[in-house]
Parts: sequence; structure tokens; C-alpha cells
Amino acid sequence: MRIKKKEVQSEIFTGSMADISFLLIIYFMITSAFSADRGLDFALPEDTDTPEIKQEDSIDVHVSRGGAIEIDGTGAPLEGLLPYILDKLKQNPEKPVILRTDPDATYGDMIRVFDTLRTAHNEWTDADGQPLHMDVHGKPLTEIQTISIPTQREIESLWSMLGIQ
Amino acid sequence: MALIRGRERKGAGQIFTASMADIVFLLLVFFILTYKVEVDRTKMDLPETWMRIKVPEKAAVISIAPPDDLTAPLTVRVSTGEEMSMAVSRLATESVEEVVTFASTEVARDPNKEFIIKADEQVPYAHVDAVLDALKQSKVKFIYLLSEQKTVKD
Repeated sequence: MRIKKKEVQSEIFTGSMADISFLLIIYFMITSAFSADRGLDFALPEDTDTPEIKQEDSIDVHVSRGGAIEIDGTGAPLEGLLPYILDKLKQNPEKPVILRTDPDATYGDMIRVFDTLRTAHNEWTDADGQPLHMDVHGKPLTEIQTISIPTQREIESLWSMLGIQ
Repeated sequence: MALIRGRERKGAGQIFTASMADIVFLLLVFFILTYKVEVDRTKMDLPETWMRIKVPEKAAVISIAPPDDLTAPLTVRVSTGEEMSMAVSRLATESVEEVVTFASTEVARDPNKEFIIKADEQVPYAHVDAVLDALKQSKVKFIYLLSEQKTVKD
């Protein structure tokens, strides 16, 4: 009599797979965070190529306590900042903008002005990125080339160098 | 409906679970791909800006949080931003030298190391200025100021 061999079907046990997957999902859901990962950038000047800037060669923007701004010593609304700078840059497109902030002003006040300066490119170009303004030499004017944010220590050392108390 | 001798055939009620594994794996893949450990979990109100640029992932973070009560000093925390280096040091606010030491060490390791300043919008600018000054002293080249997206409010 021929004995029939019983075939054992091999299989991978997948019953616990769903449990493991759910465990991993819960872990990743809890530990992953959609954090703020964007902001404003600025590059600090290298020691070697820092040009000496005279005060009259620059546009001075001062943020006072409470968020009010002064442009070249005259109080102005934030909306007037870019039109003023545009007029100045049309004469000299390389004119740097110096952003000074009162130590008692808040960080938010400073960022609001810095952000306005950074939006110059969007304001001065059309939807296709074409320049809307030209300087006196007929070259397109699309952005503020240099925005400098000196620290209080740098301002004080400059003042003392110039003999201003 | 099939009827057997006038009586309704009772089918056992069940939920179809065959696609559950597919959905679970899809979610798993999504979370694995988007997984990113937040380097600094300090809760604060970031300033809002129109312009926003993506900050580098491995940049060092310096966070300046306002105190819980007005009499307490501000909290400055630093983190190297490297993966698996979750250790966040808490510094005394007035000691800018500690920020200089931290930044100098990082710059010595990588001269092009980027730094992120994560500060609450209500923090007095003097403190941010002190940190900026420390970074300038440490020859840091690239700084990012973390912000939220500004939106048109009604």
C-alpha cells in the first residue's frame, strides 16, 4: 500500500504584522513634528571685503522703541520705506541700507522692518520677474544690494572712532 | 435575498479588513519619509514675515525664549543641530561669552556652519543683538532668523 505523504504548506506568519505596523505608526506620529523651518536669511560680511561706509553714502533706517521708524533721521510710516529707498537707489543703486534697532524695541519690530526691506524684490518686479524701475544709468533696479544690520557694539565703536558720544 | 423555507439566511456580520494593511503601510511610509526630529522644541511666538526661505536642516539653533514671569531672566538655549545630538544646553542670558564659545567651536569644526536664531517676537532686541554680536565675533557667515508665514488678516 502506498502511503500518501502529507504535504505541509510553508507560510510566513503575518498575524502580528498589523500590530507592529500600528506600533511604528504611533511612534512616528508622536515623535514627528511639523516645526517652523523657514525664515529670513542674511550673510555676514567677510573680514576681507568689508567696504568702509560713510554715513552720507548709506540709507539709515532706525527702529525706535514701540516699532516706529526713522529714515535718515526723519520719522516715516513703514509703507513709506520702500518708495524712499527706491528714490535713493535710482541715484546710486549700490547704496547700502543700514538697519539699526533700539535695544528697547522688540525683536518683532526689527523683523517687521527687515522683512519689508527683503520684499523690495517682489515690489520692484512684475509677475514675470521683469524690472519695473530703472536707475539713472538705465540699468534695472530689482533689489536692495546690501542690507547691513550692525550690532550695538559695532555702532558704539564707530561712534567713538568718529568722536561722537 | 435568498430565502430557505421562508426563513432569512443569517450571514455573520463582518468588517472588511483586507485593505487595512495597505493603508497602515501607506501611513507608515509617509511618516518615515516626513520624519524629522525637531532640534529645539521651545514653544514661542515667532515673528511673522512675508519672505521666508527654507533653513538648512543641520544648522545650529540658538533659541531665545521670554521668561514665564516678568522677573525671571530670558532663556537662551543652544543646539548643534546635528542628527542624534538632542542635547540642548541652557545658558545664562547675560553670558554672551558662552554663545561665543559655542559658536566658535562649531565654526572651527565647519567654517560654513549655518546658525538659526529662533527668538520670540516680544524679546527685547538687546538680547538678539547680543547673540548676533557673539556670532559675528565667532566669524559665523550665515544666519537665519526663524519666522512664521505672514498672512493677510481681515
